[in-house]
Amino acid sequence: MRCVLYSQVRITHALLAAFALLTPLACAPSDAPGTIVLHVANWGGAKEGTEDDKRVEDIYREFERQNPDVRIQEESVPQDYVAKMALAYVAKAQPDIMMLDLSSSALFINCGVVSDVSPLMQADKSFRQEDFFPNVFAAATRGDKVYAIPLDFTPMVMYYNKRMFDQAGVPYPKDDWDFAEFQALARKLTIKDKQYGFAFKNWPAGWVMWLWNAGGDHLKQDPPTATGYLDSRDCVKAVTFIKDLVAEGSAPSISQAAAAGVDLFANGQAAMTISGHWDLMTYKNAPKDANGKPKITWGDIGVVPLPHEVPQSQTVMYESGYAITSQCKHKHLAWKFIRYMTSHDVQAKYQFSGIAVSARKDVAEERARASELEASFLPIIPSCRPPYGSKVEGYEFVEDQMTKAMDSVIQNSRDPYQALHKAAQAIDREFAK
Amino acid sequence: MIASQKPSFEGGLGRVNDSRFSVAIRTTGLLVLVVAGLLWSQASPPVRTLLASGGALGGLLALTGSSKRAASYWLLTLLAVILFAPFAWMVLVSLHPPKTPIPPLAEIIPQKPAWDNVKQVLFSPTLPVSRFFFNTVVVTISVVVLQLLITSMAAYSLSRLKWRGREVVFWLFIGSMMFAGPVTQIPVYLMLRNLGWLDTYAALIVPGISSAFSVFLLRQFYLQIPFELDEAARIDGASDWKIYSRVILPLGKPALATAGAFTFFAVWTDFFGPMIYTNSTEMRTLEVGLSIFKNSYGTTNWPLQMTAALIVLAPLLIVFLFVQRFFVKGLMLGSIK
Amino acid sequence: MSSTATRRSRFGPLFVAPAFIHLLVFALVPIAYAGYLSLFKLHLIRGQMHFVGLTNYGYTFGDASFWNAMWNSARYALMSVPLGMALGLGVALLVNQKLKGVTIFRTIFYIPSIASGIALSMLWIYVFLPKTGMINTALGWVGITNETDFLANVHWAMLALVVMTALNGVGPKMILFLAGLLNVPPELYEAAQIDGASRPRQFWRITLPMLAPTTFFVMVTSTIAAMQVFTPVYLMTKGGPEDTTDVVGYHIYQESWVRFNTGLAAAQSFILLAVIAAIAVVQFRLQKNQLKGYSTA
Repeated sequence: MRCVLYSQVRITHALLAAFALLTPLACAPSDAPGTIVLHVANWGGAKEGTEDDKRVEDIYREFERQNPDVRIQEESVPQDYVAKMALAYVAKAQPDIMMLDLSSSALFINCGVVSDVSPLMQADKSFRQEDFFPNVFAAATRGDKVYAIPLDFTPMVMYYNKRMFDQAGVPYPKDDWDFAEFQALARKLTIKDKQYGFAFKNWPAGWVMWLWNAGGDHLKQDPPTATGYLDSRDCVKAVTFIKDLVAEGSAPSISQAAAAGVDLFANGQAAMTISGHWDLMTYKNAPKDANGKPKITWGDIGVVPLPHEVPQSQTVMYESGYAITSQCKHKHLAWKFIRYMTSHDVQAKYQFSGIAVSARKDVAEERARASELEASFLPIIPSCRPPYGSKVEGYEFVEDQMTKAMDSVIQNSRDPYQALHKAAQAIDREFAK
Repeated sequence: MIASQKPSFEGGLGRVNDSRFSVAIRTTGLLVLVVAGLLWSQASPPVRTLLASGGALGGLLALTGSSKRAASYWLLTLLAVILFAPFAWMVLVSLHPPKTPIPPLAEIIPQKPAWDNVKQVLFSPTLPVSRFFFNTVVVTISVVVLQLLITSMAAYSLSRLKWRGREVVFWLFIGSMMFAGPVTQIPVYLMLRNLGWLDTYAALIVPGISSAFSVFLLRQFYLQIPFELDEAARIDGASDWKIYSRVILPLGKPALATAGAFTFFAVWTDFFGPMIYTNSTEMRTLEVGLSIFKNSYGTTNWPLQMTAALIVLAPLLIVFLFVQRFFVKGLMLGSIK
Repeated sequence: MSSTATRRSRFGPLFVAPAFIHLLVFALVPIAYAGYLSLFKLHLIRGQMHFVGLTNYGYTFGDASFWNAMWNSARYALMSVPLGMALGLGVALLVNQKLKGVTIFRTIFYIPSIASGIALSMLWIYVFLPKTGMINTALGWVGITNETDFLANVHWAMLALVVMTALNGVGPKMILFLAGLLNVPPELYEAAQIDGASRPRQFWRITLPMLAPTTFFVMVTSTIAAMQVFTPVYLMTKGGPEDTTDVVGYHIYQESWVRFNTGLAAAQSFILLAVIAAIAVVQFRLQKNQLKGYSTA
């Protein structure tokens, strides 16, 4: 009977253990009475233990020092940020402040998930809207209502590898170049089996600008309409242009880019590419060649606006900002925190990582004075359009359809007009639901 | 019909006529070698590579090709190579310096292995890793213990007791598994919020203390235990509970080990639950807490991400090795009384 | 075979109660609520609910892309379930022998199923890459140059996903079959040996029938999981080249968490439930004669 008793005893032990473990169910470290906890949600990343993250932690702690009785509780959501914020809103469990990625913010703004801070702005005499770049600030507004204060942003620019241009004996691109000049340059800089003139990536957020620079617009924003826009002649011209680039070998096909497995520009395999400020970090940590030298350095990089058929070069910017949620119970304190995070001193420290351009003009200009690379971004800023996702709900679907269309044009040789038209119809059908 | 304790070796493959099989293998191997040699001079370089590999294989078979044993080893090794590759890849990537992009296969072996990465993740100044570990252990053990208890009781009832409505209940369990997740996540989240359980252990433990999958699994296993044992026990005057706890549970140890292991792994690596139901970093589990490398300011820190993944994986390997002894034949079906 | 002696017991429901209450609270009630929601046009965040009766169902029935996804899910299940089961059973038989080091093999086989899904997906993307990917490199060694980008090729993408998930999922199935094999009494084999039965015959007449409850379990749960598959598509192909890997699980996720059309997502989930249930009924009927001798399936 030993095994019998044994199993009985084991079950009892297990039950006891379970109860013991379950009692600290609601245990959490407790604050001193009177402490207000400000919950700040972002999509993760401030917890890596690197120098940059320590800096951010210090910034939070400094705010706590300046405001005793306040604790900053960061809520990082590494995945499915939009879904979690949506759920939190529905269940009335929102944080006090949430970081907004403007390219997916339309939903939150339209549905009242975040609140209008213009009353707080007006009541606060020390706040100056002119401190921020005007178009960057305007992206989070609807008329007079302001839904987020921008933190930082990045314009999409054309990077080029000066060393490769020098080796080919080709002069650097100029601001007023058009599609034909770009194509010629790409050709000259393509060396078969060694480097591409242009590293094309099928990421709509990174190529939609070609459509604008060809003179078209891919979507009417209000009400969202794609037919007649995405499949317009100018957009078809732009997509055909890209298709030709790939066809003649100046740009890799999607499979070829995938085959490399690394960012082609960072790996010294492409002379030009379109990307945002964040990729400077990638280029800083570029892969090294056989001698241990990095394949590309910041000194090799030049920045120029995108080629354009229209008078002014068109591009887009992606930005993030702080918003106060509609269920926030400490709106004034939250506003204070936002003022703190977007103040000159804090921004100067925060932007030290160099991932993005500060939304504050003064900080951005200071950094530009210190570095030629940074300075080359400044002139491009005024011509940046805000991301369409800041005004159009469900914009992700538009980008999905655009990806599919470009895929079918490049990988499966579909006719550009057919592909774009099919995508436009799908988009319109989806918005009609 | 009570299973004996004599260990047997052949299991489902039955016994084999060793000598005939082994002769066949050796002959085949020899033939392959000879054919490869004959065609060598005629073949072009690419085909030669093919012939070389084929010839080597044939030669080895000719040399060793003895029993079914060797054939088993060949197959096992082939599969192991395929399935070990992900793990090896993860380890190699994790040894690259932090913040470097995923190296292409040609450069997969790091020139200077960054052994420091493990330290950086485990002792990160801004990540409470020991807290993550504690949370994960508490949640996982609670769920496993409670789930085994609750689901084994249910499986016992569904497989060995007759009562009205039993089939309906059984099919309700199975049917619940057929409803895809996304839509039901919302009412569950709302419920947890209204109970005030968000950001507490309750939200991480309670939804997992029973699972239709485990109920189904255990029931199928319990069906294989001979029913005569119940009869014998009843004749001796045992109650349902006694039969459950003294007959079925002990005999169903492999089943419990299986269900327990599955649950352990699932809860330990659960990402969605802990991420959605907890907000503060202190309440996070290892899997979620260490996923932060995924999205640091827009670029993924792959080497550290892989290091973190390996850290989460390591304890599971230990658990798996421990649970393995339940699957060794000859130990389990011990006699009753 | 065992006799079918189950006894009537008043305590039956009692034993099931904790599990069933949990099921009610965390599964059945939410599903019923979802059923209720499926009759509404509802945007999760806007919060406005309009009663639309069966319109969501009607729309889904007429939605060509949904049925394309359903067909893809079915294709996926048809390929991956038998493959996974055969692999799992085969590997279980292999490791069921007393070979030295078999524990290490078992552990290696199990690792992919518990390793981080993201890490696995990244790795398998590398396996399938054109030119520099593992498959193409291996083909290169035997002299076949191949440029196929498997995941971007309309003919290969689904197959690639099937092979990947079948291999990754070997571990749990292997364990299940191993545990099931333990319950096969050795005397049966000895008796068959004495009667002169050959090895394959023993396998078909003894092993497989005795494994029937386990096989049924693996088949049903694999099918359910296959019809709901989501993660590999989400991480690797996002619906795939020209919608060839667009599966229902991905559709429902998109509808629910990207477009926030909760009512429509609920209706789609119920339609998927109906399809899976139909398949399960068929599987149950097919297995019924295998499970003769057990009181119920």
